[in-house]
Amino acid sequence: MPKKVLLVDDSTTTLMMEEMILKQRTNYECVTAKDGLDAISRAVVETPDLILMDVVMPRMNGFEACKRMRLQASLRETPIILVTTCGDEEYVEAGFQSGCSDYITKPIDGFELVTLLQNYLGE
Amino acid sequence: MNDFQERMLPARMSDDSNSPTELEGKISVQQAGDQAKVFAARMRLQKAVDQADALDAIREIAVNLIGTEEVAVFKIDKKRSELWLYWSFGTDPNKHSVLEVCREPRLPEVLSGKPVFRSRFSTENLLSTDDPVSALVPILVDGSPAAVIVLFRLFPHKMGIEPVDKEICEVLSNCAGRAVEPYHSR
Repeated sequence: MPKKVLLVDDSTTTLMMEEMILKQRTNYECVTAKDGLDAISRAVVETPDLILMDVVMPRMNGFEACKRMRLQASLRETPIILVTTCGDEEYVEAGFQSGCSDYITKPIDGFELVTLLQNYLGE
Repeated sequence: MNDFQERMLPARMSDDSNSPTELEGKISVQQAGDQAKVFAARMRLQKAVDQADALDAIREIAVNLIGTEEVAVFKIDKKRSELWLYWSFGTDPNKHSVLEVCREPRLPEVLSGKPVFRSRFSTENLLSTDDPVSALVPILVDGSPAAVIVLFRLFPHKMGIEPVDKEICEVLSNCAGRAVEPYHSR
């Protein structure tokens, strides 16, 4: 059974790009959500193997969504990778405080994305 | 090594691809990633439903695919002597409201329809402003430049404009007409 990845971003451009890369280079199944609130409900229903989530989004940002996901028993151990515009240590540390497992910076590099996800999910 | 570095190391270690096979694999994934970016940019612009959506598409592409949160669109006046700020994101609109073509040596090239990029190690700015300009991209409408997209400062971790960014800028140049000419057909 293919591993399932939940992609969360309010940008349709980013979702399209991430989905294309993962469909071409992995056999992961992709599901999408467009903001933090939407992501929580999708994650509870879909129970993905990994969540790749933007930080800056309307309604609920990635940090807050990450915190709330960690309160759900079914999502406590799910790897959550945050997509940030900033790789500063303080900013990344804030991500880890919210409970994320890792981070990747924009603009997303295809090789870095695939490698990172394979480290968590296997090939 | 501090806690922060220790946590980041395992996930980053496999970035070291040294054997030819690994290198080929890396290049292949890289190419797929680049193609996905160019395709996503084109699709987003072509599916823009109206002018506001097309401007938002430019913002999305600049932030998510190229790597800058400072972008502006200038319309070219009929005499082609000045460019007027039309829309901007992440920049002070009062700072860059008009660009005079005679004072900007790189603009004539852009007005001929060619994007201009700041090379990675160049100290020369593309416009006479304090803010670093990374690219000047003409928006073509019916084959002629109608406006210019200015991409300012890149994200600090981004070293410069890369080949894939130039391809994305070509897409912006050819497919962003609706952002400045609302009734322009795609």
